[in-house]
Amino acid sequence: MGIEILEKPGKKVVLLGNEAIARGSIEAGVGVVACYPGTPSSEVPLALSGVAKEVGFYFEYSANEKVAVETATGAAWSGVRSLTAMKHYGLNVASDSVLPIAYLGVKGGLVLMVADDPQGWSSVQSEQDSRYFAKMGKIPMIEPTNPQECLDYTKLAFDMSEEFELPIFLRTTTKTSHSIGTVKLGKIKPPKIKGFFKKDPARFNSIQRPNLQIFHEKLIKKLENIEKKYSSKLNVVFKGKGDIGIITSGVSFGYVKEVLQMFHADLPIAKLGLTFPLSERFVSDFIRGKKKVIVVEELEPILEDFVRQTAKDVNSDLIIHGKDVFPTVGEYNLETIIPGFEKILSKRIGIDFKKHKKNVDNALKDLPPRKPVFCPGCPHRSTFYAVKKVFGENTVYSGDIGCYALGIFEPFKMQDFVVSMGASLGIGHGISEVSDQDVVAFIGDSTFFHAGMAGLVNLKFNNGKSPLVVVLDNNITAMTGHQPNPGTGITGMGKKVDPVKIEDVAKSLGAEVRVANSFNQKQLIDALNELKKMKGPRVLVSRGECRLLTKRLMYKRGVKLPVFEIVNQKNFEGNANDVLNNFSCPGVIKEKENGKTIYKIDQNMCWGCSVCMQISPEGSIKPKRDENEV
Amino acid sequence: MKFDLMSTGVGGEGVLTIGVIIARAANLEGYYVRGLQLHGLAQRGGTIPTFVRFGDEKEISSPGIMQANADLILAFEPLEAVRATFYARKEKTTFVINNHPYIPIYANLNNIPYPSLDKILKKIKPFAKDIHVFDTNNLAKKEFGDVIFGNTILLGIAVGKGLIPLKEESLRESIKITVPKGVESNLKAFDFGLNIGKSHTRVE
Repeated sequence: MGIEILEKPGKKVVLLGNEAIARGSIEAGVGVVACYPGTPSSEVPLALSGVAKEVGFYFEYSANEKVAVETATGAAWSGVRSLTAMKHYGLNVASDSVLPIAYLGVKGGLVLMVADDPQGWSSVQSEQDSRYFAKMGKIPMIEPTNPQECLDYTKLAFDMSEEFELPIFLRTTTKTSHSIGTVKLGKIKPPKIKGFFKKDPARFNSIQRPNLQIFHEKLIKKLENIEKKYSSKLNVVFKGKGDIGIITSGVSFGYVKEVLQMFHADLPIAKLGLTFPLSERFVSDFIRGKKKVIVVEELEPILEDFVRQTAKDVNSDLIIHGKDVFPTVGEYNLETIIPGFEKILSKRIGIDFKKHKKNVDNALKDLPPRKPVFCPGCPHRSTFYAVKKVFGENTVYSGDIGCYALGIFEPFKMQDFVVSMGASLGIGHGISEVSDQDVVAFIGDSTFFHAGMAGLVNLKFNNGKSPLVVVLDNNITAMTGHQPNPGTGITGMGKKVDPVKIEDVAKSLGAEVRVANSFNQKQLIDALNELKKMKGPRVLVSRGECRLLTKRLMYKRGVKLPVFEIVNQKNFEGNANDVLNNFSCPGVIKEKENGKTIYKIDQNMCWGCSVCMQISPEGSIKPKRDENEV
Repeated sequence: MKFDLMSTGVGGEGVLTIGVIIARAANLEGYYVRGLQLHGLAQRGGTIPTFVRFGDEKEISSPGIMQANADLILAFEPLEAVRATFYARKEKTTFVINNHPYIPIYANLNNIPYPSLDKILKKIKPFAKDIHVFDTNNLAKKEFGDVIFGNTILLGIAVGKGLIPLKEESLRESIKITVPKGVESNLKAFDFGLNIGKSHTRVE
């Protein structure tokens, strides 16, 4: 929806939460944005990358989140407002630098946007609650509830950061980041992009004792002052009737408001925008005199624990509901929190969710599932197919993070586990070290640059048994929406640069390397057979551009992709089961016509990769000639 | 006033874009808009439901539609229309379906055949106030030479039938800002759908 993020002040537009954060940064005059893309945060950099030149700030896709945070910090220390955005797992990577930066403080505003992903819509790792990082790192955290607040809070975060010389976490969960909403735009402050780093040993030298303790004490003092000044701005009470109150924050606030309307219950709501440091004063004032409070928060009972602790001194008879009636697991929506409210308020709203779900399940029972699959013409499908031809079913397939994680599904089942960025190499190494099994570790180009290089050099360093590493190089960070990476040859500002070649990196880290075209089965299989015979660190770079990207680029240029067709049914039948069951491109379909099985290539689903032709008996599939083609 | 619209289909079909067109049209008419888009993993050939909610600000604060509560479901793929029944109920929900199947590879791999339209409609009926079915991909191919306009035609049909409480003009305006590159063809496809919606007897 990006084109509207530069609209005029005062205009009302519909933005994604993430786009509203992007607009908020622009309104705040951000000078430097550095990110590694991670969904559910990826539209923040996507939106900003598209307008960086026009607005005049610096934008980069960094090699990983840790580097991104460091880049933003360096700029902030030089007096320039800086932003980084990452997913919860990105924060884990970045945390090594984030925590010390809180002690050292900042000069220009530094905002660290982090998006948690309850339910794991875009994550395979865990339902981590990043609010713990705020507590652990003693870094203030604010949480918007809707796109308008995404914009407003981002601006506020920059002001807070400069006022208290601290980085500020701006935290969302998936349904804040990926929800759309009406947003009223504000004025854009021209970006300040030039800075100067002033040496200041008294401030930056944390090695000399007792500086570290002095810094720590200062940080505690700053948090106290932030609570004093910002609690009243960010924590709001919505008045209501009765002695039952609700405490909530983030996206849950929206659910609570709508659920209360359904119950016709006009209860007071305390909405917490400042979730670290939590305000004892604010919570005490709200719970004083109440009989019951209901704490509604996704994931961990962080607010609930705080309310319990606060209630001990202020209102020890208070009944506190939270995770006793609402789930810790998964994300919230209206129907997940309604049963809890029905229990507490002893009132029904008259929808039998269980019965409805049962009826729906019944309707869905005998339908084919639709799991995410590789796109038609995806280079990964071709690579997985070739690797299985050479390595079979029993090889251990070490998985990693990216589109190729879809190899976990049938028919490939070639990601035996997926842990974290770059983990395929380390875990594959451990298995190789202690077992006699063949191990193949899959990793994508972007993931290789992000966290795979250390795993590879470790193989050489320890000169031990090693998995075969297959780098699936599609020339882009595909899963998160086609962001360039060091191998792409273009920066986040759209500037052409020399691409970093994975084969060069792998060779210099001590590996035996082969390169094959992902769309050429013979090249793949020859290279794999050769590498299979070798020992030690070995890398196959399977290179083929993301087909979705190729398709889009060609569409822009007005060129159609070639399309293939089955021209000889009888010939095709010779290997039809293999093509359908093992290669399984959604473009190749089997239909019954007058009781006879017919094989077809769906012309709208063929993206012209030609691999089905290569693996079918000769003469059965051919490129289609189209008279209309230019 | 509050209108809960769901659009659903298969990743890569342009389902998101139709949601954006509707959301912006509602915004142009001064309604408060909320909604949800799914991104990431689910987009790759998987099911992608999108929610658009518009109306009075005080009635809408959650981004998602509650189960059994959609007013209208625009389904760009018949199988996904069945899956959308989770958000539908007999007293409230109208379905507009593009009868152009995208057969999932799992139909073959798991040996579960793709159901016939009759079977699909039978499954949806207990959850629907009304069902309208068109093969808009086919119409698009015939009329405009490209299936890509099937979505816009389906949107036009829904508006033509008066199933979306928004003005034709706001939708046209929204198409102009949302798909600036293919604006003329998309406007033609929209008008083509609009006429079918206004005149056509039901196909079901």
